[in-house]
Amino acid sequence: MALNPRVGGGWSRSSPRPFGARQLAGLAFIAPLLAYLSAFYAYPLYRNLDLSLRDYTVRSFVQGDAPYSGWDNFSTVLHDPTFWPAMRNTMVFTFVSIVFQYAAGLALAVFFNRHFRLASTLRALFLIPWLLPLIVSASTWSWMFNSESGVVNYGLHLVGVDPVGWLTSPDWALTSVIVANIWIGIPFNLVILYSGLQNIPAELYEAASLDGAGAWQQFRRITFPLLRPVSAITLLLGLVYTLKVFDLIWIMTKGGPGDSSSTLATWSYQLGFGTLLPKFGPGAAVGNILILIALVFGLLYIRVQRRQES
Amino acid sequence: MKSRGYTVIGLVLTALMLFPVYWMLNVSLTPQQDMRKSPPDLFPLHPTFEGYRAVLDDQLPYLGTSLLIGIGTVALTLLIAAPAGYWLAKLRSRTGGALSLALLIAQMIPGIVMAMGFYGFFLDLGLLNSWWGLIIADSTIAVPFGVMIFTAFMSGIPGELISAALIDGAGTWRTFRSVVLPLSRNAIVTVSLFGFLWAWSDFVFANTLDGGGSWRPITLGIYKYIGNNNQEWNAIMATAVVASVPAAVLLVLAQRYVAAGVTAGAVKD
Amino acid sequence: MRNTRRIRNTRRTLLIALAATGALVSVAACGSGSGSSSSSGDSKTYTFWDPYPQFDASSDWGKRVAQCGTQAGVKIKRTAYDTSDLGNKALLAAQQGNAPDVMLVDNPVVSTLVEAGILNKTSDLGLDTSAIQKNIIGAGTLDGSAYGIPVGANTLALYYNKKILAAAHVDPASVKDWGSLTAALAKVKAAGKKGITFSAINTEEGSFQFLPWFWGAGGDLTKLNSAEGVAALTLWKGWVDSGYAPKDVLNNTQTTSWQEFATGDYAFSENGTWQLGNADKAGFGYGIINIPAQKGGSAPVPTGGEFVTVPVQKDTGRYGVSKKIVTCLTSAGSLLATDTTLMYVAPTAAVQAQQVARNPELKPWVTAVAAARGRTSGGLGTKYPTISQPLWTAVQSALSGGKSPQGALDVAQSAAGKG
Repeated sequence: MALNPRVGGGWSRSSPRPFGARQLAGLAFIAPLLAYLSAFYAYPLYRNLDLSLRDYTVRSFVQGDAPYSGWDNFSTVLHDPTFWPAMRNTMVFTFVSIVFQYAAGLALAVFFNRHFRLASTLRALFLIPWLLPLIVSASTWSWMFNSESGVVNYGLHLVGVDPVGWLTSPDWALTSVIVANIWIGIPFNLVILYSGLQNIPAELYEAASLDGAGAWQQFRRITFPLLRPVSAITLLLGLVYTLKVFDLIWIMTKGGPGDSSSTLATWSYQLGFGTLLPKFGPGAAVGNILILIALVFGLLYIRVQRRQES
Repeated sequence: MKSRGYTVIGLVLTALMLFPVYWMLNVSLTPQQDMRKSPPDLFPLHPTFEGYRAVLDDQLPYLGTSLLIGIGTVALTLLIAAPAGYWLAKLRSRTGGALSLALLIAQMIPGIVMAMGFYGFFLDLGLLNSWWGLIIADSTIAVPFGVMIFTAFMSGIPGELISAALIDGAGTWRTFRSVVLPLSRNAIVTVSLFGFLWAWSDFVFANTLDGGGSWRPITLGIYKYIGNNNQEWNAIMATAVVASVPAAVLLVLAQRYVAAGVTAGAVKD
Repeated sequence: MRNTRRIRNTRRTLLIALAATGALVSVAACGSGSGSSSSSGDSKTYTFWDPYPQFDASSDWGKRVAQCGTQAGVKIKRTAYDTSDLGNKALLAAQQGNAPDVMLVDNPVVSTLVEAGILNKTSDLGLDTSAIQKNIIGAGTLDGSAYGIPVGANTLALYYNKKILAAAHVDPASVKDWGSLTAALAKVKAAGKKGITFSAINTEEGSFQFLPWFWGAGGDLTKLNSAEGVAALTLWKGWVDSGYAPKDVLNNTQTTSWQEFATGDYAFSENGTWQLGNADKAGFGYGIINIPAQKGGSAPVPTGGEFVTVPVQKDTGRYGVSKKIVTCLTSAGSLLATDTTLMYVAPTAAVQAQQVARNPELKPWVTAVAAARGRTSGGLGTKYPTISQPLWTAVQSALSGGKSPQGALDVAQSAAGKG
């Protein structure tokens, strides 16, 4: 019979080359994605790479005749006093966020997995932070953290603690954006880990409690190991979405004060768009370094995954 | 009874978690002159609906645009990601692995890096400041994710079902349409929901690519209140409240499918 | 995820991935080379960009722009961008050969656009700029040529709250230099009120607000870490450390800083002409004094405000109509209406006189504008942005307590030197 004409034209399964026909049909399935990726990923990335390898001034940017400068932009960026703080902040922001999001999400998932009244309603309410457009959550948090009129400092005042310059002190700015980011990330972790928990057969727990295992023992010996594949996805997606966080930090602190909360993402934007005289080359170089870091983590993840399976 | 203790703890935890949301509501009802009062009013005792009036006056077109862009993004994402996921799960040759890795990396690329590349490209094609241009840009957040979810999910569909369909004389396309897709309902719902939420809350692309358009999404509507010229917290927060409603309805409706979809790959091992 | 498990050989996979991306890149690169469109519109439609998203088509400004198009016999397609994005958007558009026909830009951006070679000289277009005050057009003048016409100017002064100063027994007329201002702030604080708000945010706004103090000490932007610069930063830091100014000046935009002042708890606010409308709504009596210099007198303040420019087009035949549009927007009658809408001070003496006749409150502002300097004036041009960014970073690190004023400005000077 003929394949659907939309896919492969008139090849039939009884033709001399059924394999080829099937491959061609397959091509129709993947071709849109390939076209899409090349137009909307590869091309912007190519532009970005090209920017980072040339010595752009505003004039040569417009004229399009910037000389090739090799790794100059990268070396400028690496020797910039902002580089290491931004790198360190990126790592701290990403890892602290992920660890706390995951830990809180897991604890809550285990908690909601008990059967008690209102459990499902409360669990649904926990998802609300996830729904707010990021620009909204960021504005809300920056207003709550405001050093003069913020409700957080008011709360501290009630328990007798001096006001903290959440967004205005270099010691606290990074902490503040991390707190906000963890808050945004908890629902996602909760949803996935909870559904993972539900797939663990109840009999395992029954058997364990017959053997006299306590709650902690049960968690350590049953819940945690059986949850490992789900945890891996959760952590991976957490990494994917945390590494590139930009709006949140930009709205709350713009990377400041000084560069105390700037990450590679905000710094890249700062260089390219944040001043009156854009430095496209270095800005693009920072963006590419960020992509490189993503690549490393991607490969690392695949390695760990493979080791777990073998 | 023990269950009641859990309920109490649960209520406390939920209250803590939702405090910022409550605060958003509270601020949205606070009159402008009380905004910086010290100590702040913990309850909206003298509520003002100015913020909401501003939203209803100004923001409805923005909400409509966001809805349109959200739906368009979902449609485009499904159109590209579902067949590709099927190919990666069931039809692929060896290059598929590289493609999966590329998709993984693609998800980690910051939006701002993409946005700059898009700008020049869109300018050439005349897609700037148009809602369909923004649909394309927003879909780049969702497509790699969608392909990963579909691949994971469709790998779990038993091969026998597909072979049976093929033997019955259905072509690859018909098998996909009438066997694979109906079985992938959870994945479709998940990808749609995430695609919608991302498009709904996208700010970076909207600001770069649609900053001056006549069809602008709600995040830019909010930004109008945050930008250089004014900062009316009650209007910002009122818009936020209104903007969260459709997303909230969707998520509550689809919650069950989402978890199933996202964890499909891992849990069914 | 499960699909990734299929990857058997990571290293080979990576190679394939790179090769695949490379192939796609070259395809995409070829595909894009020839695609750029040339003209920015047909001959009956002229594109117009401005940084006033707060004004839609039905606003006075929107109507005026449309009307100037009608007078020139064309239809104007107006697009409003956020101020902070407009410069970059213009560069990107020019790169693609798609610059707008007429564009309003913030004055410090003009020198960057000139450096990029995308603006026409006003003299080449035959536009008359002789009536414009020299210091106002200075921000758009490079090597003796003007590249745009200011639609108006704004600048900074100190607003004060009459009630608070009276309660603290401070006579605003006694504030003549930094010493008397700080003394006034101390009295206000002793009376249980708050001192002063300003914006020290890490954007151009932060530098804009710091400059009156920097220049008021006699500072020179080419030597950030001079004793004068350090004195100015020490003044600000002293205010924050003594609690005369709130900590959140570090996050304040000029708008949020204004909102703090509008609570009625603050004695002073460093802010601009554009807040006059809000000041009337604030519900308390206010007054305005010029920002004092360190040793008395008025400090030089930076000029703010936008320039009308005509970007370079491939089709030079379009300039004739563009010129008509610019002339229409900057004619005396139009300026009065525009500057009333924007709450700006007009750039010509004649229109300024009309403004003051209508609204005497503008008098101190007209004086302030007359004494103002362009940020990019004095031959700085595109050096200004590379100085301004280290400067606002230094202000941030000093006020947040990360560095001493001297240390912060030393770092800034070395960064500015490299830039």
